[in-house]
Amino acid sequence: MRFTFTEEQNKFRQTVRDFLQAELKAGIFVTKSGGLAEGNNQEFSKKMAQRGWIGLTWPQKYGGQGRTYVEKAILIEELFKVQAPVAYHFLADRQIGPSIIHFGSEWQKEYFLPRFVKADENMKFCLLFSEPNAGSDLVNVATTATKEGDFYTLRGQKVWTSGGHQSDYGWLLARTKIDSSVPRHESCSQFIVDMKAPGVTVRPIINMVGCHTFNEVFLDEVKIDRKFMVGQENDAFKQIMAQMDYERAGMERLLQNYPVYEKVINYVKEMGKTRKGDPFYHWVQDSVAQLEIEFNIGRLLCYNTAWTIDMGRKPTSEAALTKAYCNQYEQRLNDLATRVLGPASQIREGSPWTLYDGEIADCYLWSPSYALQGGSVEVLKNIVALRRLELPRK
Amino acid sequence: MEFNLNEETKMLQSSAEKFCKEKSPSPFVKNMIKDEKGFSEAHWKEMANLGWLGLIYDEKYGGSGGSFFDLFILFEEIGKTQLPSPFLCSAVFAGLLINEAGDENLKKTYLPPVIQGEKILTIGLRNEQGQYDHAAAALEAKESGGGSYVIKGTRILVPYAQVADEIIVCANLKGEKASGPTLFKVSGKASGLKKTPLNTLTGEKTFGVVFEDVKVSEKDILGAIGKGTTYVDKVLPKVITLKCGEMVGGLSKVLNMTVDYVKQRIQFGRPLGALQVVQHYCADISTFLDTSRLIAYQAASLIDIGFPCAKEVAMAKAWCSDAYKKSTQIAQQLHGGIGFTEEHDLHLYYKHAKVAELDLGDSWSHRQKVAEEMGF
Repeated sequence: MRFTFTEEQNKFRQTVRDFLQAELKAGIFVTKSGGLAEGNNQEFSKKMAQRGWIGLTWPQKYGGQGRTYVEKAILIEELFKVQAPVAYHFLADRQIGPSIIHFGSEWQKEYFLPRFVKADENMKFCLLFSEPNAGSDLVNVATTATKEGDFYTLRGQKVWTSGGHQSDYGWLLARTKIDSSVPRHESCSQFIVDMKAPGVTVRPIINMVGCHTFNEVFLDEVKIDRKFMVGQENDAFKQIMAQMDYERAGMERLLQNYPVYEKVINYVKEMGKTRKGDPFYHWVQDSVAQLEIEFNIGRLLCYNTAWTIDMGRKPTSEAALTKAYCNQYEQRLNDLATRVLGPASQIREGSPWTLYDGEIADCYLWSPSYALQGGSVEVLKNIVALRRLELPRK
Repeated sequence: MEFNLNEETKMLQSSAEKFCKEKSPSPFVKNMIKDEKGFSEAHWKEMANLGWLGLIYDEKYGGSGGSFFDLFILFEEIGKTQLPSPFLCSAVFAGLLINEAGDENLKKTYLPPVIQGEKILTIGLRNEQGQYDHAAAALEAKESGGGSYVIKGTRILVPYAQVADEIIVCANLKGEKASGPTLFKVSGKASGLKKTPLNTLTGEKTFGVVFEDVKVSEKDILGAIGKGTTYVDKVLPKVITLKCGEMVGGLSKVLNMTVDYVKQRIQFGRPLGALQVVQHYCADISTFLDTSRLIAYQAASLIDIGFPCAKEVAMAKAWCSDAYKKSTQIAQQLHGGIGFTEEHDLHLYYKHAKVAELDLGDSWSHRQKVAEEMGF
């Protein structure tokens, strides 16, 4: 057991911090919650690439640095504390790259991985998993990929596609076997789809924050070369289960609203100067202390999950448990922030008397999404119950 | 960040696990509640022989100079089976106070027999409301001339007072030259001590002790006059963290019992555990366990390496208190009627969770500490 970092790790953290502070000073980005959803900045990603911070954990033969997941967690922690604009490469780095490394063909590895680690142009990915009738029940996907010679033809509709309108490629789940005698999870495959290909239509969905991050994606007779299929045909669910662990394992799940947390703490410190005896202040103190405990535990869970991967173990239940915990923490944070700051926290950006440019109000609106994306809290609890505790399915 | 136990600790853990399982099955724990002594003399000897009681003390007092983290692991195992003994009050709390405040002579006189299990010490730091009041003790020590003092007042929830050779108290000393909160050791057989057994939730042996003008001498003072609060505050984080270890152990047992039960219990034609609502409750307990373990291990590990960790200790006790209690409440719900019976074992943990929560500061009081550390 060691709850401190090594000297090397501390040095690495400091290097990342120094870089980010310089970028902030130069006005390259500002610290505001929602960096992951909105910070699409290829130039920034290129700077990270030059420092070897994309593909940090990947093997060196694929252009990675072969570093540990604990170091990756340190990197993510620093990036998200200041909400650096990492959206351009984030998905490729977190899960597309590792999936290609595990399951991809030689051609896919040679083509995509070097471009990912350099943050080359036209390399932004989105996920084409969810469908109108396949949300938590992902095996119910109805989009089909029909093999015709050297090509597959895609027909169907995807939804909740984050960043679909900005992406160059989509990572797609589609049905490759239409046979009711085959189990649903043994009849799907994964593909890489060029989002500019004829037949791909992307339509915006405006979320309740008022932002355009989600899209609907229609696939109408989209022809793709078979070399864009990833891994074995009909093997998608085995591949996705492994991929999801990485999607869920990260420190970002705790830190999407870190600036709100920082603001709340500073606000309370100020409040303490004038309102020490006030019963409201006592409630605030108690509530924010609870939040601090929850935050610290979330951080330990994230590092523990990263360490589990470093030990060569599959982090399935750790990642599920950690994400469920962190999602709920972020929801509590945003709710509490509005109450600590009081009624003026509802005033949104651009209006007079707004607090922190409406960041608190926006974050409260974002809150429900955390416990839904990348596996709902309920789905994650199912994983803990079935995989770790080995409770019966029937 | 590393989250594995080293080989030595793992060996200690597995031998402690075996010992606790063998010596402290639930019928034994339940018998001890009715037993006058409340623990087994034979076990106590074995614990001393295994080196548990002296684990963290210097070799010159008969200890083995081991790590605090290992001691934490022992308490986690003790918590799993609820093995009753005066370990925490005697060989940890009182021992550490002597180690902290006592002069060399006192340490040489008291630590070896405590480590050998030959002497049992206990702690009387709680006032009539059960609160630790060492910062402003309601217990008074008045100078009575010739280097003597007279202690007057009441302490409650004094563990194993009936067998204790000495009770360590923090009394508010009023002297001509010096005064303030001061640690005294009081012989368990001193005249003027009135001990009343208390029937509490867990049934662990604990007493109300009334000090009716109990005579002590200046030789019974531990450390400096007026520094009692400082000594206790120095030792408390360790005691609190070990209490967290006990709680983490209890919580892990609660999770195992509950998961086993919902796998076996058939209702609606299938195991209860196949129902999603039941699965989610179990996942919640599993989350309480992982989170409690991490935050408590962190405190234990930082204490072990001598890192300042007042906030981490407070976070651990605040979180474990809530998490353990809530887990036992969920477990009661999932066990249904059987969990409510005396025959079943679940009540041992339901009770322990509440008593452990109320001891050494509950979650609210430790959140106050966290808030303070945050600069609020």
